[in-house]
This record gives sequence, structure tokens and C-alpha cells, in this order.
Amino acid sequence: MGLLPYLNTHALDEDYALAAERRTASPEGTGSARRRRFGRRSAVVLAVFALLAMTAAVQTSRASDSEESGRRALIEQVKVRRATVAEQRTAIEALVQENRRLENDLLRSTGAARAVLDQRDLLRLRSGTSVATGPGVEVVVDDALAAEDDRNKVLDSDLQKLVNGLWRAGAEAISINGERLTVLSAIRHAGSAITVNYTSLSRPYRILAIGDPATLPRRFAATTSGQAWLDLQGEVGLLFSMRTRDFLRLPAADLPTLRHVVRSDPAASKEEGDS
Amino acid sequence: MIAIIGLLIGVVIGLVLQPDVPIGLEPYLPIAVVAALDAVFGALRAFLDGLFDDKVFVVSFISNVFIAALIVFLGDKLGVGAQLSTGVIVVLGIRIFANVAAIRRHIFHA
Repeated sequence: MGLLPYLNTHALDEDYALAAERRTASPEGTGSARRRRFGRRSAVVLAVFALLAMTAAVQTSRASDSEESGRRALIEQVKVRRATVAEQRTAIEALVQENRRLENDLLRSTGAARAVLDQRDLLRLRSGTSVATGPGVEVVVDDALAAEDDRNKVLDSDLQKLVNGLWRAGAEAISINGERLTVLSAIRHAGSAITVNYTSLSRPYRILAIGDPATLPRRFAATTSGQAWLDLQGEVGLLFSMRTRDFLRLPAADLPTLRHVVRSDPAASKEEGDS
Repeated sequence: MIAIIGLLIGVVIGLVLQPDVPIGLEPYLPIAVVAALDAVFGALRAFLDGLFDDKVFVVSFISNVFIAALIVFLGDKLGVGAQLSTGVIVVLGIRIFANVAAIRRHIFHA
């Protein structure tokens, strides 16, 4: 007989049948008649059963309760800590700004320091590490319409020419698509994109140049780069437009820190240059 | 009647006292409850069959609970506690279903 049919047929303990048989076999029936009803012993056993079941249920619900409350407490803690972190961040920011302000105040309090600070600001402006504002021109260049190969696309060399021309025409600060040109900037191809300051640009290219709006376009057109771009426009159909702007705001460049350049005082470097 | 009173007393005691089960016995409690459930349904069926016997019920109840706990204990010691528990639950479950089916036949005559 298979296990399942056996289980089904023997679901009732055979002892009940055996006990009943024994009862019918033995003639005296007074004692056994009492045993056929649920007696006190059965009641006690049933009470134990109910107690067991209730205990298991209580245990399970209590366990799930404590788990749930634990999770909620953790979430609460995470929230509180996050708020603390955010608070401390804003505090840090405020302190840093306060520090900078105090430092500037301190330096500005003496005349010599003020001159140094002014020089620093000027150098930062010139080297492109601080925001520059002023009038100038906005140049937008783009690939030719329906450009298929490199011939009628804007290349890094085209942008280099354009920027060189602008410098020669008297531009004082230049940025390409928000990347400020500095002493360490390179315009080059990396893969299919042109990168400036190690940042990939996407067309169209928007070049902002601060300079005299009255003379800049004319002087640019007179440079060889301007001539080259005129050719590019005519021959391969690159798009080029230049507009003067009364106010431009060029962002500061985010320069990598110098790691190999050693700072040396001017006198020492002069000696080295002489030798 | 006395059976129902016994059940109620057990429930009340459980709810009021909410006894703490020792950690060591915790894994055996659920399986013991299932085994006890099997014994209770068996007793009910026997009662309806007219075969009920007080002593048999008490003995079967105690032995059921004890054996179920013992099997789980052995399984835990051998590293197959979960599988053995599943086996015990399956067997007891089938028995409970068969007994309940018989009880149903008695009550509804169907």
C-alpha cells in the first residue's frame, strides 16, 4: 500500500478501534461507559492543547510585533541621522563662507595685503579661474546640415583656429560651451567628441569671447583664422554665426591641481636660466 | 460540554498569563501544536464514530506531541530539521484532512 492511501485509511488512530473492541469483549460495562464520553482527563488535555495553541500564536504575533517595531525604530533613527548630517553640512558651508570672509577681511586690513589680494584676483581673472563678465561676442558654430563624414563636421582643429583667431582679434576671455579656456586648456578630439578641459562637448558649439564688441568681429575677419572659417563656411557648409553681446558671463574653470610644477622664487629661476 | 469548558479555560489561561516559552523549546512549539491538533481531530472523529475512549485520547495526545517534538529535535541534531518538520507537517496535515472529512460526513451526512 502506498504511503498516501495508508495515511488516509489510518487517519484515525487504530487504538480507538482496539479499545472499542476490548470494551465490547469485556462484559462489565459500567466503567467503560464513562470512558466513552469526554471526561475530566480529556478536558485537561484539551485545556493543555488550547494553552499550547494560544502560546504559539502569542509568541508568533509578539515576534512579528517586535520585528516591526524594530524596523520602525531603525527607520526613525536613519531619518534623524540624515537630518543631523544635512544640518551639519549647512553649518559647514556657513562656517567655510564665514572663514573666507574673515580671511579676506584680515588680509584687506593691511595695505600690502590688499595689493596682494588685488593681484591675486587679477591673476585669477586672467588665468580663467574666476568668473569673468563683460561685453563681447557670441559665436555659434555647428556641423554642416546633413553632415556625413568628418569633412563637413566641426573638428578640433577648426575650433582651435576659431579660438586662436579670437585671441588675436583681442578677446580677453573665452569659453566654449561653458568650459573656460585657461593656460592648461586643450581643444582636442577624443573619440567622436571634442573635449575641452577634459570635458566632452556636444554640438552646437557656443563660444563666448569677452572683448570690444565694436572691433572684435572686424578684427577676427581680418585674421587668417577668420579667412579659414570663411572658406569652411563656403566650401563644406559649416554653420557659423557671430553676434555682439553687451553682457557676457564666463564661468570659472575647474582646474586640476598642479602636482609636478615646483614653485620657486623668481631669483632662483633666473639663476637657473642663466646657467 | 466539559470538553468545551476545558478548551475555554486553556484559551483564557493562555491569553491572561501569556507564558514565555524557553528559547530552547521554541522551535518545537508549532509542530507540537499541529500534532496536538491531529490528536484532537482524531478524538472528535472517534467520538462521532462512537469509538471514543478517554484514555486513548490522553495517551495519543501526549505521545503525538512528544513524538513530533522528538522528530524535530532529532532533525535539528542531524542538520535536517527543516526537512523533517516539513515531513511531519505533511503527514499530520493529511491525517487532519482525512479526519475532518470523516467528521464532516458525520455532521452533514454527505
